[in-house]
Amino acid sequence: MTDQINDQISAFIDNELSADESALLVRRFERDGDARARAMRYTLIGASLRGELLEPHPSVLRQRISSALSGTTTTAPVAPRARERWTDRWARPMLGVAIAATVAVVAVGTLRSLNEASITPLPTTAVGAFPLQVSDSVRAPAPSYVVPQGTELSRTGAPIRLTNYLIHHGEFASGLTRTSVNSNVLGGAIEPAVTETAVAKPVPEEGLE
Amino acid sequence: MRKALPVAAPSLLVFVLLGGNATAQPAREWLERMNRAVDELNYSGTFVHVLDGTPETLHIVHRHADGQSGERILSLDGARREIVRQGARVQGIFPDRRIVLFETRRDVSPLATALPSNAAALEPHYEIELGPTARVADRSVQLLEIKPRDEFRYGYMLWLDLTTAMPLKSHLVDEEGNVVEEILFTDIEFPADIPASALEPTIDTTGFTMQRATEAKPLAAEIPWRAAAPPGFMLSVATESQIAGSDTPVGHLVYSDGLATVSVFIEDPATEADVSEGFSTMGSTNVYSLTLSSGQKATAVGEVPRQTVRTIASTLVAK
Repeated sequence: MTDQINDQISAFIDNELSADESALLVRRFERDGDARARAMRYTLIGASLRGELLEPHPSVLRQRISSALSGTTTTAPVAPRARERWTDRWARPMLGVAIAATVAVVAVGTLRSLNEASITPLPTTAVGAFPLQVSDSVRAPAPSYVVPQGTELSRTGAPIRLTNYLIHHGEFASGLTRTSVNSNVLGGAIEPAVTETAVAKPVPEEGLE
Repeated sequence: MRKALPVAAPSLLVFVLLGGNATAQPAREWLERMNRAVDELNYSGTFVHVLDGTPETLHIVHRHADGQSGERILSLDGARREIVRQGARVQGIFPDRRIVLFETRRDVSPLATALPSNAAALEPHYEIELGPTARVADRSVQLLEIKPRDEFRYGYMLWLDLTTAMPLKSHLVDEEGNVVEEILFTDIEFPADIPASALEPTIDTTGFTMQRATEAKPLAAEIPWRAAAPPGFMLSVATESQIAGSDTPVGHLVYSDGLATVSVFIEDPATEADVSEGFSTMGSTNVYSLTLSSGQKATAVGEVPRQTVRTIASTLVAK
């Protein structure tokens, strides 16, 4: 699928296409399953970014298609602007947000682990530098229907050995969780380890399963 | 030839037969149907995997033929990566690293029979309930809620296809009710047959480094390590395995409560495995690694809360 079609689908869901362009694209959806599936994915991804996946339904896409067919718009008209590739459109503003969001997620996750009563407190220096207030401000990025490409830049590749472990582990997981394990491997994102001095203590044999 | 998508009419028929209330089906039966569906159905579809609000789109083809299942999962966003499982052989293809990892599963453990064989065996550790019906991916679904009874496992919310019991949407839920992970099919079809060729890798691996498991010596059928696992987690594997890229066998324990699974890998210090000590996460998988008093390195991984991987890894002893 060409970048031009991707741009059109993204703009269509953003309600940035003219009525004529929208009608043409909807006709393409009727015969092009890939374009239709891509539009659905963009819609769901946008809903996910806005935290709407708890009750997912493709109502946004349906409304846009319905509007295109009836020649109306569902929201206030958007001022025309130069069309950009969606990757470019996202790379600049989302890079900072994505990095800040990732830092905040790591910080919140780390703080949560510190608060777990059943776990020995970890070194507090691990979280002291993170601005925890950032999390609320980055939780609601501007609505979008495409993947913020900048997010990948804030991720680090998982160590090969850990990837090996997960692939091997996935073979012993239940059918339900295997998909989850494999998705995690393919995502390749690993949050930095919280290091602590960890040496196993012997336990009585009767405590074993 | 493909089966017609059983969308409207069959789903409606099921709905009518159930008197408009699918909760008449016992929750345990739904869970058992789902377990069979995931492994035994032929399906092909696209799903969104959401972690920490970050979505990733993947395509899956799952084939079941001659009593064997296999699947191919391809990431559609970002780096194009692929995992292909055919029987006991698995390969992970990572073009961004120009590497292919080959793994082979060993089915040698007699301990597997210790696992709960039906949903009733899960009930000491999970509360299993039916929720309302809904629609996902334009198909009618039944919500199945699996709530943990303690802090050592996550809960699940599963939206199961009314016709096939395939989970079309799932939430992994922590003890505070937060959704740790969401998987949502945006489209799926259930062909009667999927050719074996559909499981062939689609990424050209020319020039990639191939990391294969090399059996330098016979693998031990059983290793002596055991952990004081949380209640309900039964030992199902305790053997040596060969990990791709390492000549030295790795001790491998698997603990499972029937839904959640934790693997423990035990390596000699000489292997210099590049896994950092302490907690780390890879998606929804929690990881805890430490140095045993014997000097070996142990790493527990699983789709369970942090305290579970830590409890299992930190209580390892040689029996």
